[in-house]
Amino acid sequence: MTTPLIETHDLVKDYAIGGEIVHAVNNVSLSIARGEFVAIMGASGSGKSTFMNMIGCLDIPTSGTLLLDGIDTKTLDSDALAEIRNRKIGFVFQQFNLLARTSALDNVAVPLIYAGIGYAERRARAQGRLEAMGLANRLQNTPAKLSGGQQQRVAIARALVTDPLMLLADEPTGALDTQTSLDIMGIFQKLNDDGITVVVVTHEPDIAEYAARRIVFRDGQVIQDAAVKSRRRASAA
Amino acid sequence: MRDLLASLAGWGVNVAIALTALRTNLMRSILTTLGVMIGVFSVILAVAVGNGAQVSVSQQIATLGSNMAIVVPQPDSGSGPPRPSDRGRLTARDGQAILREVSGVSAVAPQIRSGVQIVAPGRSATTQATGATPEYGVVSNITASEGRFLTQSDIGSAARVAVIGETVATKLFPETSPVGETVRINRVPFTVIGLLESKGSNLGNDNDDQIVVPITTLRQRLLTTASQGPDDVTLIFVGFEDEDSLLAGQAEIKRLLRDRYRVAKGKINPFTVRTTTEIAETTGEVTQIFQAVLVAIASISLLVGGIGIMNIMLVSVTERTREIGLRMALGAKRSDIRNQFLVEAAVLCVIGGAIGLSLAILAASIFERVAEFPAPIGLDTAIMAVAFSAIIGLVFGGYPAIRASRLSPIEALRSE
Repeated sequence: MTTPLIETHDLVKDYAIGGEIVHAVNNVSLSIARGEFVAIMGASGSGKSTFMNMIGCLDIPTSGTLLLDGIDTKTLDSDALAEIRNRKIGFVFQQFNLLARTSALDNVAVPLIYAGIGYAERRARAQGRLEAMGLANRLQNTPAKLSGGQQQRVAIARALVTDPLMLLADEPTGALDTQTSLDIMGIFQKLNDDGITVVVVTHEPDIAEYAARRIVFRDGQVIQDAAVKSRRRASAA
Repeated sequence: MRDLLASLAGWGVNVAIALTALRTNLMRSILTTLGVMIGVFSVILAVAVGNGAQVSVSQQIATLGSNMAIVVPQPDSGSGPPRPSDRGRLTARDGQAILREVSGVSAVAPQIRSGVQIVAPGRSATTQATGATPEYGVVSNITASEGRFLTQSDIGSAARVAVIGETVATKLFPETSPVGETVRINRVPFTVIGLLESKGSNLGNDNDDQIVVPITTLRQRLLTTASQGPDDVTLIFVGFEDEDSLLAGQAEIKRLLRDRYRVAKGKINPFTVRTTTEIAETTGEVTQIFQAVLVAIASISLLVGGIGIMNIMLVSVTERTREIGLRMALGAKRSDIRNQFLVEAAVLCVIGGAIGLSLAILAASIFERVAEFPAPIGLDTAIMAVAFSAIIGLVFGGYPAIRASRLSPIEALRSE
């Protein structure tokens, strides 16, 4: 039997807002196996993003246990967490979060800087990822000279450049039109078919239907966790 | 070795990131650099001027002559203004007594100094006349570069002859040699017999703006006031054979003169004996204090420059909080973020320091030419400048950099 990629036990995240304590995530226990394609849904403030930030090691749980690839994250210091983010997780954001005035190639190479990879190899690997995203003729473009869909594909190339175990996407289609959204989901499906675990946070039911499993949050708790019945397929762009 | 290369490459990446960030806010970067530049510029220039003053002072003392005591008829009251009651006296006979009775004395040069007007056909100058004996040339190492210096027979006959300094010569005879010409000093005709070897100028004091005449002639022909006794002198130079005899001789001179003037025990001396060694020490101390004060004042501008760096780095960290969050999400460790901002501050400072140093070197050379005042900038000063600006970068960039590195990844990512 293989260890789940993500396993949580009674995970809690509290925030103190104006003297009152809010349970953003309240006793969540679940596990995600390798190779799954999970959509995390819920309304704004349901705790879905907070949950994703914790499994992405961006945020620290108030209590409970989070095992990532079998490692208890409580035992890790900030440097070790940075290394996990670098090696095991690829992030995709709603607003793309590319560095302005920096070429697509250099943007994709950033995680490799922190992995301690040399200049020539950084460039070669970044170029390979961009070509796989169909951006071979956009290597030197800065984000300002790319469309939204192209920027998100640069961001996906960046997320993949360190060969992570898992892609974490927070509202990846939130800033894109319908057709481009379909393209991006198609890319995720293809990557998932190739073996990478994908977790997408979204509030759009349509988008969630491209995943294989749907987890719904409300008021910090999981209210539904089931396989998607009629899963949609998008043809990859 | 591999680790070292990797860490060097890491710093290289940080320099590249820093340059991109600084280019993005070019105007702001230039203004911030300006602060450090001015600071480094003023510190370096202050050090250079201080060095120059020290060089100048030691040159000045060297022109006095070495192993020499100077006796002046000024009450040795320590500090405070001299009172009329203890007005001092000093005569040429005191000088003869010193030569006779103090051991290790090689020569004694009594002098009378007086301001005079000197006139050549169509031109005139005001200068200082030193009434002296040939020993003056020996003790203070003065020779004639053209013509001759005073001789014993000039003194005996109270000859109307003068040896003039270069500055005076240039004023009176701009085109011809002055030697052999006749000049009028305070309306009395004199023959110029020689040109004093140039001793240049130090600290704005022109050593060539003087003339030397026989002490007897000056006393008989040029002194207008009768306030002085017939044998009174302005000062006596006492030349010693070596430094040891100078040290012992200073006390001996004091003892001899106290006897001669019958100074009661406990009363202050009506004369002062100083040695060139003492003068060198005191003026050395004074110029060191002068330099320290200059550098201290200049350092304030460097401090202000450093605060400017800190200010702009704090702004930069705030503006780029989201970028910091992103870099952390992509795997940057706290030390990566800290180093990125440290390098940015250091790059600003080193650029500012380099420009400041170059400008200081330029200013010092202009200063040397225009003011004829040496302002040497040595390699040590240059290294100090670079080290200074790097330290400023690390100290004032350190706090913003550490603040950036302590941000929580998710809070940084969420900021707008």
